[in-house]
Amino acid sequence: MKKINFSPIFFVGPHIVLFLVFILLPTIFGIYASFTKWNLVGDPVWVGLDNYRTILFNEDSTFYHQFYNGMKNTFLFVLISVPLMIIIPLLIAVALEHKEVKFKNLFQTLLYIPGLISISAASLIWSLIFNKQLGVVNNLFGSEAVWASTQPYAWITIIAITIWAGIGGNMIIYRASINGVSPDLYESAEIDGAGSFRKFLNITLPSIRFPLIFTLVMTTAGSFNVFAQPLMMTSGGPQQSTTVLMMYIRDLAFSHGQSIAGMASAMAVMLGLVILVISAIQYYLMNRNAV
Amino acid sequence: MSNTTLSKSKPIKVQKNKRFNPSMYLAYTFLIIVSGVWLIPVIFGITTSFRSQTEVVNEGFRLLPVNWIVDNYIAILENTSSAPILQWIWNSIFISTTHTLLVIVVISITGYGYTRMNFKGRDVLFFTLLAISFFPNVVNLIPSYKIIDTLGWVNTPWAMIVPGLAGMGNIFLVRQFMKGIPKELDESARVDGASDFVIFFRIILPLIKPVLIVCGLFSFVGSWNDFLWPVIVYTDVQKMPVTAGLLLLQDVYGNYRMIGQLMGSAILAIIPTLLLFLFAQKYFVQAIKLNAGIKG
Repeated sequence: MKKINFSPIFFVGPHIVLFLVFILLPTIFGIYASFTKWNLVGDPVWVGLDNYRTILFNEDSTFYHQFYNGMKNTFLFVLISVPLMIIIPLLIAVALEHKEVKFKNLFQTLLYIPGLISISAASLIWSLIFNKQLGVVNNLFGSEAVWASTQPYAWITIIAITIWAGIGGNMIIYRASINGVSPDLYESAEIDGAGSFRKFLNITLPSIRFPLIFTLVMTTAGSFNVFAQPLMMTSGGPQQSTTVLMMYIRDLAFSHGQSIAGMASAMAVMLGLVILVISAIQYYLMNRNAV
Repeated sequence: MSNTTLSKSKPIKVQKNKRFNPSMYLAYTFLIIVSGVWLIPVIFGITTSFRSQTEVVNEGFRLLPVNWIVDNYIAILENTSSAPILQWIWNSIFISTTHTLLVIVVISITGYGYTRMNFKGRDVLFFTLLAISFFPNVVNLIPSYKIIDTLGWVNTPWAMIVPGLAGMGNIFLVRQFMKGIPKELDESARVDGASDFVIFFRIILPLIKPVLIVCGLFSFVGSWNDFLWPVIVYTDVQKMPVTAGLLLLQDVYGNYRMIGQLMGSAILAIIPTLLLFLFAQKYFVQAIKLNAGIKG
């Protein structure tokens, strides 16, 4: 008696095909490839845990050094940039939501627009800012620094452009959530004689806990994929001190020489696992704290 | 709040307004400094694009050019072989527009399927796909290239248009939005004999316009600014989108030997998304709030 209805297949079917071909299949194949020797052209040859053994334990291998150097630099970037990407937008949002501040939308627009500029265009402009002879920074501060090719300046350029381009989204989220905090809370705190700082600490921060942790998770996961800024600003230098793991992965798999896609896949899986574990920990903290 | 506390709080407030209010000045100072710092690169890039190379080198650092010239832009537009910036911008416009339109088609149809239709295992299927899509996509990067290569899409627009259609994020947003539409609307239409197609086009589609605009804008900007993927799938200079093209410029313009042209190219590349933003600013702000799943 039951009539089979085919229309759900029409509505969700096409996307499922896309999902299988462009997400599920490549994910499974990416994990499989990490256990193989593969040059991207021929058939992968199963080598078991060899790639992982090499990148994790074989100190004589260049891949070992690339992996640890790339991982170290990626972590360094995440550790410096993520706190700044949370704190700076938060301070701006608090300043913007100050009752007596006007031109809120003008300020917000100015600070949001860099996020719409592609990172390669932004990098060209910022390379000029940090140019040794012509740049704003050296001329304004009378500095002699050769930014892209000495440390810690190379990292400073990368972090500067990251923050410049990246704070807009988080800023708007914080603004919206601070705006949503009940004014009654502030009023009663005022009656108790709380100053601006106390109010921020005891009312604003706890009230926007959820968006704070949400942006923390998203920003962290995104930051682990860092690639464009070091490539454009420093080319990974000086002495590979800003070469992040994503750059090694791309070079190994897609450089002009022989592709070492199997090894690159092992590195990609390791990076993916790190992102997964750290996101999971952050989500756990978020759920535990969300009431 | 009781009346007694209110009356108590009033005198304090009046006092506060009369008094010098340091927090407001602090907020203003902070905002003006930050905005200034945020603007400097763009202004400096624009003004440098109107200066000649000799002026850049000889006059050193200046905010405004001594002589405003457009030679850099003429040179940029004439170089259609090694740095075809207009071609790149056109490639990006084609890629991002096509991608955005297809995203809107896919997410509205799929969102309807997962929200308004009843079939066995619907929610299990949806959340399974959602969970899989949370897996970090660095893992599928290399095989994705292999798939694109197998399909013969390397150095074609399809390499950037199609794979992004598989994502779950926008479908999740559409689903959330559609759930807010009362079931009675389509149920009564169904009783009247309307098919799913009619309900979708006549009832649901007009109602979900806001979320589609928001997802569309985000898809457009995301596609326009994507960097890693186009750097991998495009080797043909004439076929690449503008973000990948700009990577080549540091070599083309000889590492700051033609600094004005370098800046001019960067400025040209910025203009399309900037215009889009100016026309659709309020949707962008909505988009971010919606993307965060936080009601403002």
